[in-house]
Amino acid sequence: MPVALPDFVVTTGDASLARGFPETIGGDLGMTSLFDVIPRQAHLERIVPEHFGGRPLSFPDWKIIGAEAVVIGKVEIRGDLMTVEMRLYDATLGNMMVGKKYAGPVRQFRKIAHKFSNEVLYAFTGVRGIFDTEIAFSARPEKGRGKEIYIIGLDGRELRQVTDNRSFNLFPRWSPDATGLAYTSYRTGVPQIYLLNLSTGKDRLLQQYGNSKSPGSFSPSGDSLYATLSVKGNSDIYRMSLTGSAVQKVAGGWGIEVSPSVSPDGKSVAFVSNRSGSPQIYVKKIDSSDERRLSQAGNYSTSPSWSPVGDRIAFTSLKEGRYSIYTVRPDGSDQRLAVSGDGDCVDPSFSPDGRYLVYTLRKNGYSELKIGSVDGRWQRGLFKGLPAVGSPSWSPRQ
Amino acid sequence: MNHLLAGKRFLVVLSLVLLAFAPGCGKKEVVKSTDTAEGAGMAAPPAEGAGTEGQIVTETLPPEGTQTAMAEAEAGVAATMEKPSEFPDIHFDFDQSFIREDARPTLQMVADYLKATTGASILIEGHCDERGTAEYNLALGERRAESTKSYLVSLGVKPGALSTVSFGEEKPVDPGHDEAAWEKNRRAHFVRK
Repeated sequence: MPVALPDFVVTTGDASLARGFPETIGGDLGMTSLFDVIPRQAHLERIVPEHFGGRPLSFPDWKIIGAEAVVIGKVEIRGDLMTVEMRLYDATLGNMMVGKKYAGPVRQFRKIAHKFSNEVLYAFTGVRGIFDTEIAFSARPEKGRGKEIYIIGLDGRELRQVTDNRSFNLFPRWSPDATGLAYTSYRTGVPQIYLLNLSTGKDRLLQQYGNSKSPGSFSPSGDSLYATLSVKGNSDIYRMSLTGSAVQKVAGGWGIEVSPSVSPDGKSVAFVSNRSGSPQIYVKKIDSSDERRLSQAGNYSTSPSWSPVGDRIAFTSLKEGRYSIYTVRPDGSDQRLAVSGDGDCVDPSFSPDGRYLVYTLRKNGYSELKIGSVDGRWQRGLFKGLPAVGSPSWSPRQ
Repeated sequence: MNHLLAGKRFLVVLSLVLLAFAPGCGKKEVVKSTDTAEGAGMAAPPAEGAGTEGQIVTETLPPEGTQTAMAEAEAGVAATMEKPSEFPDIHFDFDQSFIREDARPTLQMVADYLKATTGASILIEGHCDERGTAEYNLALGERRAESTKSYLVSLGVKPGALSTVSFGEEKPVDPGHDEAAWEKNRRAHFVRK
């Protein structure tokens, strides 16, 4: 689908946004392999304020350069705030398919652009986009030996650090409404789970009970967190209330049980257990004894991630000396290789639409975050700017 | 490329739907906008009849960005540093937490010290090599520290003189990426408190 993204009209304020918006949307659409962005040098018509006041686009000028879709926009900035009107036109039929007006902070212009990219994708495919989603991960800051939690946009922009306590901060996991993160921090010297409110920067200790703790995933309703908790050296899977202090064991045994990932219907949990002698993936119906082993490949399978769509579970498995990422149906059938590469591919986390995985590629101490399609057909880099990047977690839709 | 074709097919279908449902194409428009001047402009009949259907929907973003949690604490910063010890580390096999034969002399030394020194206590740190998954290694390190503690208790040390913490794979003593480094990093480390 050839799409034209002419410079936006900026009536007041920072003129660089004229290019910033179409570039961000073009980057998003280009990621899908559904859209081709027509170079702006080819454009024949310039967008003016009147195009938002009744003057139609000169559609023949867009059709002749091959455009089937045209996105135009107008930005008005007042102080730190702006209003952006964006329209998607079908150049062939000459009609407006989507028109939206956004109000928000100027510094969040990319987020607004991503939201409109979602609209464009939806208009043409009926598929809800994920362009405004983000990835949380842990990494070592340039200075220091600890690890902090960071967030980055799906387009590899807008990197920001969300913890700053110079201890080890690990395993970020998104709340279902994407307003908070659960993570493990050694800030008191021992690994405890904290809940961070991303809009206030405030966080709180979740639970005192037990030794080492790591968050797995929130319940779909967001009222509890499935987590790993060690008591007297034995780690099991627990459900922790976020409103009270209730802690309930969900799965366990004499072995190591870690890394719970809850199904989207909230009824089952995938986790790791080494009860067979090596770590493998198991699925258990919550509040029942119905439990079965899922992973067959390899002798070291960890890090399950249940697709938010529900159809598959991704995990890491060691085969022939190398870790790769596989997916399998929740009933254990149809196991397939999703990602393998020049190094170890670990820590998969599903996109909200269940079509992509973010993961860590590790090799000889070097590590980077990558994104790959679940069908294994393509992979691309997301982030490699800091040492020891790992534990990526894909946000829900925002 | 299948996706592309599918996308185009959707476009055609969708466009037809829009056409079918646009009453008096290009004449009438639904405009929902907070900006009245804008709205009035939009409502004017477009020249040439090459019109615009649909409506402008307004969405407002919350004002906040993301904030950073600041909570630097001395104990947390100290946790990232390798602490000196007068006892050598003991080592473990890959993905195992049982006490190896070669660890016994060291553990006897630690036990003798604790039994001979009133009020002395030791923190046992469990560590793992970088292979495998960090969350699993956090639990494995915990198990190594606990299995070390149990062994010391079996030698007559009071449980109250021992505490444990796991650092998983976060604190390798050897930064290398080969079996020699991994062997050193699968360890229990003894810190006098």
